[in-house]
Amino acid sequence: MSALNTAMLLALLPELLVLALMGVVLVADLAGWVQGRKLGWLTVVGLAVVLAVSLSVAMPNAAGAAVWGNTLRHDALSFVFRMLFLLAAGLTIFFSMDLPGLGDRGAFYLLLLASVLGMMLMAMANDLIMLFLAMETATIPLYVLAGFFTGRRDSVEAGFKYLLFGALASGVMLYGLSLLYGFSGGAVEFEAVARGLSETAAPRWAVLAALMVVLAGFAFKVAAVPFHFWAPDVYQGAPTPIAAFLSTASKAAGFALLVRVALVAFPGGTMPWWGAALAAMAAATMTLGNLLALTQTDLKRLLAYSSIGHAGYILMGVVAATKLGLTAVVFYLLVYLLTNLAAFGVVTVLERNTGSPAVAHLAGLYKRSPWLTLATLAAFLSLAGVPPFAGFVAKVWVFMAAVEAKLEWLAVVAVLNSIVGIYYYLVVLKVAYEYDPPADAQPLQVSRPVVWALAALAVFVVVAGVAFGPWFGWGQWAAMALFP
Amino acid sequence: MVTTFVFVVAAAVLLVAALIAVLKNNLVHAAMGLVVSLFGTAVLFVLLEAYFLAVAQVVIYVGAIAILIVFSIMLTRRVGAQWGNQTNPTWPFALLAAGVLTVLFALMVRGWNPDQALPAAEAVPGDVTARLGAALVNPGGYVVPFEVASVLLLAALIGAVYVAWGGRKAEKSTQR
Amino acid sequence: MVPTSFYIFLAALLFTIGAVAVLFRRNTLVIYMAVELMLNAANLAFVAFARQFEALDGQLFVFFVMTVAAAEVAVGLALIVTIFRTKHSVDIDAMHELKG
Repeated sequence: MSALNTAMLLALLPELLVLALMGVVLVADLAGWVQGRKLGWLTVVGLAVVLAVSLSVAMPNAAGAAVWGNTLRHDALSFVFRMLFLLAAGLTIFFSMDLPGLGDRGAFYLLLLASVLGMMLMAMANDLIMLFLAMETATIPLYVLAGFFTGRRDSVEAGFKYLLFGALASGVMLYGLSLLYGFSGGAVEFEAVARGLSETAAPRWAVLAALMVVLAGFAFKVAAVPFHFWAPDVYQGAPTPIAAFLSTASKAAGFALLVRVALVAFPGGTMPWWGAALAAMAAATMTLGNLLALTQTDLKRLLAYSSIGHAGYILMGVVAATKLGLTAVVFYLLVYLLTNLAAFGVVTVLERNTGSPAVAHLAGLYKRSPWLTLATLAAFLSLAGVPPFAGFVAKVWVFMAAVEAKLEWLAVVAVLNSIVGIYYYLVVLKVAYEYDPPADAQPLQVSRPVVWALAALAVFVVVAGVAFGPWFGWGQWAAMALFP
Repeated sequence: MVTTFVFVVAAAVLLVAALIAVLKNNLVHAAMGLVVSLFGTAVLFVLLEAYFLAVAQVVIYVGAIAILIVFSIMLTRRVGAQWGNQTNPTWPFALLAAGVLTVLFALMVRGWNPDQALPAAEAVPGDVTARLGAALVNPGGYVVPFEVASVLLLAALIGAVYVAWGGRKAEKSTQR
Repeated sequence: MVPTSFYIFLAALLFTIGAVAVLFRRNTLVIYMAVELMLNAANLAFVAFARQFEALDGQLFVFFVMTVAAAEVAVGLALIVTIFRTKHSVDIDAMHELKG
């Protein structure tokens, strides 16, 4: 039995601190010391402390090392994603703090933290066991969070639908993992799996089928075609901040794990057609997501389909499987996560004030709340990929990664899709700017935490679009973990 | 010889029970099928010399999971109403899908005989159950997954209590 | 000793039963039971492979799968009971609140 040492504890410090924060919130809630939305402040402050401490003492070197008996990898790639999840959780709490029935419940904060813990471990996972366990730890609390408004039919149904498809996806994926475990001669560590699969005596088609089945589990997690259909329904019914969390952090966690699996455990070299399958999935995902978004009249459903489309763009970087591709994936996820959180923040405000997230309720937003409209403008133009916003730079980099990897056809499909995307984002903005507000319109009520979060996000979207160097540098640093 | 006999019996019971679990319209019977099928798996675990897992299978699956399912079947039964026919009219397609999958799996086992597959790593001697226990608390083994599993169970507990209990509270407040 | 391939094929049959039932049954409780059968099939394959390769990881994997299954069932059944309270049905066709 090997002994514990400081390096191991330091590698796991962010997770241990999140766990400690869970304990503090649990005790504070049960003992009644902290109640209502003050729990939100406690959690946000706790997350900020975790973020600050991790950044100052737990930074790995880029190549990193396998720790805790090779179950986890503490490297630049996992570190960037883990910090991103902490940030996303904090912002989600800002949006939910003042929602009655959500931000005043201790269970909400505990489940959110448990899910974040799972996501952080997903980013670190280095073997098949950790892969499965971390994925489930991230997902199971989200089933409850999606159905958190237990008195509302749509919310319960959203939680239930998510659970049903999630359980199915994990069952199918697990069976695929069991076959891969057999094909690779009993290997669980990613590198050993890659070695085992390249030497296996099993027929190619059977290995490929098992890989496809495992890919299905990932497709569910990141909402990629053909396992995307749950997303619009679940986003629509779930509390809006939870939908934001699902479409950003949860998706990013799926990609954090997928890049490691696709580049380390099942690299294209050991398995022909695997890359082609991923490329086909990327093309189908972006096309279907963007086309279906065109007809939506509900903002949450529109953002759900748009987030499916974005999953397609990000998959392009995974398909490229180069250093530039990985850099582009990390940078895109960073930008997309913060931009989409801003977009969902606007939806939260809209729903709170008008009772429903219909696009029509945006009418005359410019005359009612000019500052909020400005944040909407920044978020949606960035999602559309219009310069000079951050989304534009992110798109350019994934397109370049695809071209560099000789996937010109995929880049062409993506450019065509971006044009479709610009149309439906602009329609939303047109409603906000051109249409007249209803006669009795008042300025929208926006709570303090939401104002701060939206302002910070809008500023980021503009700044990161103009001066993308430092943010892109994070992506390059993360990519050095797999491409030294 | 004895093991082969036990295997054949357990496998047959397992498959028939699984079919009952998914085909019966009476959900209580279906749940019984599930229990028997899970128990059959435990028997196979014994044959595979995974004694700890066999016990865990009985305690966790048969003892906890199946009981929970039976409870929720009871809780979601409409008084005085039967479940009625819950099979899709598309059952020929179901049969077709099952046939295709079975053929594919048969081809796989024919094309690749797992009995001749070689292990990726060298075997370690020793009592399996003792090694399992040691691996779960070894920092150089699986202590992190072990602790994560406990966090997951705690989160599931909080979630389930919230949904079942908090839900009732929310309903009462809307009724008022 | 029963050959590993027998176990693998048995696991495959069990998985097939579960997967097809998920696709073609309407009652969510039955679907849930079918998912349990799929998890069980994977567990059987893991243990069989673990014996074949004399490796421990397969058995450990099954141990964690059991934990996950227990957590999933606890959350899932709580949600099923809640949905029954509001809709008085657990059929998948009754889930029609959300659409575009």
